[in-house]
Amino acid sequence: MAKEKMRYSDRVRKKHSHVGKTFILIALTAFQWVSFLPVFFSDKGGGILTAALLCVYVSFEWMYVVFMHFAIKKVNFELEFIAFFFSGIGMCLIAGEYGTKGMLKQMIMVVAGVIAYDVLLWFLKDVKRVMAVRKYVGFFALLFFGAAFVYIRFVAKTYINGAYNWIYIGGISLQPSEIVKIAFIFVGAASLDKLLTAKNIYLYILFSMGCIGILFLMKDFGTALIYFFTFIVVAFMRSGDLRSIIFICAGALIGAVLIFTFLPHVAARFETYRHVWDDPFGRGYQQISVLICAASGGLRGLGVGNGKLREVYADVTDLVFGLICEELGLIIAFAIVIAFAFICVYAVRCARSAPSSFYSISACAAAAMILFQTCLNIFGITDLLPLTGVTLPFISQGGSSMISCWALFAFIKAADIRAYPKIYKS
Amino acid sequence: MKSTTKRTYVLIILVIAFFFGLGFFTYSLAAHGDEWVTHRANKHIFKNGGISVAGTIYDRNGTVLAESEDGVRYYNSDSSVRKATFHAVGDLSGYIATGVHTVYRANLLGYNIVNGIYPVLAGNKDSDITLTLDASVCKAAYEAMNGKKGTVLVYNYKTGEIICMVSAPTYDPQNVPSDVKTNTEKYEGVYLNRALSGVFTPGSTFKTVTAIAAIENIPDIYERSFTCTGKYKTGNGAGDGEVICNGVHGKVNFERAFNVSCNCVFAQLAVELGPNVLTRTVRKLGFSQGVPVGKITTVRSSFDVSDATNLDMGWAGIGQYTTLVNPMQMLLLMGTIANGGTGINPYLVESSSELNMQKTSESTAISLSPETAKEIGDLLRSNVKNYYSDKKFPDLQMCGKTGSAQVIGDNSHAWFVGYSQREDMPYAVVVCLENGGMGYNDAIPVANKTMQAALRTK
Repeated sequence: MAKEKMRYSDRVRKKHSHVGKTFILIALTAFQWVSFLPVFFSDKGGGILTAALLCVYVSFEWMYVVFMHFAIKKVNFELEFIAFFFSGIGMCLIAGEYGTKGMLKQMIMVVAGVIAYDVLLWFLKDVKRVMAVRKYVGFFALLFFGAAFVYIRFVAKTYINGAYNWIYIGGISLQPSEIVKIAFIFVGAASLDKLLTAKNIYLYILFSMGCIGILFLMKDFGTALIYFFTFIVVAFMRSGDLRSIIFICAGALIGAVLIFTFLPHVAARFETYRHVWDDPFGRGYQQISVLICAASGGLRGLGVGNGKLREVYADVTDLVFGLICEELGLIIAFAIVIAFAFICVYAVRCARSAPSSFYSISACAAAAMILFQTCLNIFGITDLLPLTGVTLPFISQGGSSMISCWALFAFIKAADIRAYPKIYKS
Repeated sequence: MKSTTKRTYVLIILVIAFFFGLGFFTYSLAAHGDEWVTHRANKHIFKNGGISVAGTIYDRNGTVLAESEDGVRYYNSDSSVRKATFHAVGDLSGYIATGVHTVYRANLLGYNIVNGIYPVLAGNKDSDITLTLDASVCKAAYEAMNGKKGTVLVYNYKTGEIICMVSAPTYDPQNVPSDVKTNTEKYEGVYLNRALSGVFTPGSTFKTVTAIAAIENIPDIYERSFTCTGKYKTGNGAGDGEVICNGVHGKVNFERAFNVSCNCVFAQLAVELGPNVLTRTVRKLGFSQGVPVGKITTVRSSFDVSDATNLDMGWAGIGQYTTLVNPMQMLLLMGTIANGGTGINPYLVESSSELNMQKTSESTAISLSPETAKEIGDLLRSNVKNYYSDKKFPDLQMCGKTGSAQVIGDNSHAWFVGYSQREDMPYAVVVCLENGGMGYNDAIPVANKTMQAALRTK
């Protein structure tokens, strides 16, 4: 088994030549400069300073890949390239509105995300270590989440976008639910990997329900849905029991119906759903603006900074996909959705050859979480699904979500047998 | 372990669902993108609820009817032209539902899924529209109407190009009067293009239809002789009564009766033809369908004699009773007669980058045999030559029929429908002055002034 993998590892090493990586990096750099170009000349773009910052970012990408390639001997960078691609687009759109300062903030978060990614990747290398800490991670994550909620709800009282889910520290916004996502997958995959005992399962269900319960108290139902979906994926991956899953989903559906009956602002979103054009300047305004602007952009887009979606609330956060269509065009938007789908396919491929089922489950759970959130975001703002107010992974403006997205990538990467080259080298 | 790897298919299902959603979004974009971009919430295009950025609208000679500059929409520089073409060109807020600004909005943005609205933002030609209208003819028609309500239409019956389409009341869109919304008397139905969306009692112009039915169904119609005593009694039954004539015409034949527009004769013919035959003729002539004008279809005319008594039939035969016709429909009837029985649908938009535009002449479904067309055409020519006088229409070789449609409690509608026989100006004309007086006195001068303006453009 180990021998076979070694050979496989050698084979992929040959396949992933320097040329391919260099080419992708050049292409990525070129794309980022081209897409940023209108930003430098726009009123709000920040001009030369933003250009300088882009230089820094591009250099960072190059240095990261070169360092990882030569020093850590990593062979493949698919996920990293995708994450850099996404992050770059996010920064470009943010720079178009908030200038150099906005871009710098986001870039710091990208760097923090990269660090989180590599630290977590290093940590996941040893499955025993993971198993040893899972209970503590679960316990402290729940404690942190609960404490954060109590702080937001009763001390800071920051009620934003209909949810108690934001902490502001020194001008940087932080969503506790984003950080807890990492623990959610970590605990889920680790608990169910080995020891399929009743106690383990009950503890995990308790932990999951605790997290989702807090999200309900926070009134962040979109994120709660993402957690729930991830829970279902993990549970199915582990048990394969379709009937139980259907049973759980049915139970959840009844719960959801009850919620919508009792919470008017959630019910209102459902009333608007598929009827956005009935109230174009009221409840349907965000969605119709996205549709109008997406259609206005055409395949090529109107150029960064020229979008009218910028006049709509949450343009670079929740509605960012509409802004991509409008300013960067449908071709780039299409490339982005292909990349999101690729993440999932890549995770499946890695999961099938992963050395441990912990890696398989965590990779699938992380990929499912990212793609499900992408679905909720893109289809929510385009009125294919009810609007839930979740962000687009990697691209939407936001600190904690950027870190959590990079960290989720670590779970997927960890399932790739090429992720830890030194283990297989000899 | 193995079973775990198999279960990864849930992710593939998620990916498939994702692509399914994206496919649906792409389909919606392709199917409804033009509706989305033209919505008034599109801030690229709209300012304060009105269009501010859109392509240029030209008339057939390249005269600018409306254009945008630095985010402001301007109309033609001449206020009479602005008023005359207002309903065709349309307002900026979409109150005039049939205006080019509303109906062809996606074309005015040069919109398609590939370019989005880039063409209009870049100000390139793809967002421009050229109309078939001639601004000078429209202006002449508007001025000839002299403040009366109604509509004047001229189109080329060989090609279908609408040269003139004026509707009044109108106003100057560049300097919108402050009392548009309050002075309901002066601006009654101001957002209605009467040519496309209006229906009016046709009065004697409808005798053309009755005459066509008579030609086709009464073999000895030309040999017959009628006596007009000033009124015609349809019979002695319960549903009978008297139709009053506009004069006492004495002994007349069919042609003379048409010339002098004798109510007695045409009421008698209608009663004789009966509701079924007359209805069939009206249907054959397309009155039950509405006229397609590019992307618009005009309002349908109404003719219903299903419950008509003899007296009602008499009135229906002379264009009264419950009959209402759309002026464009009358124009098409005149054009069909003029073109030897082959009707050509009128159109307004000559060219636009969106190539799905109707540019070529398109035949209508109207069925009128060449023989009948020739005969009714001769009768219409006879009207002008022998009764109205060619002096009323110098150099035009006009054919036509007047009408003074009686309306309860108001002045009659003054009508003139007709066409020129000149080879170099194959134009049909319809004048309908709402409560505007008499066909001969009031409509003919307007028709002449409009057609003279059209002649000057030759």
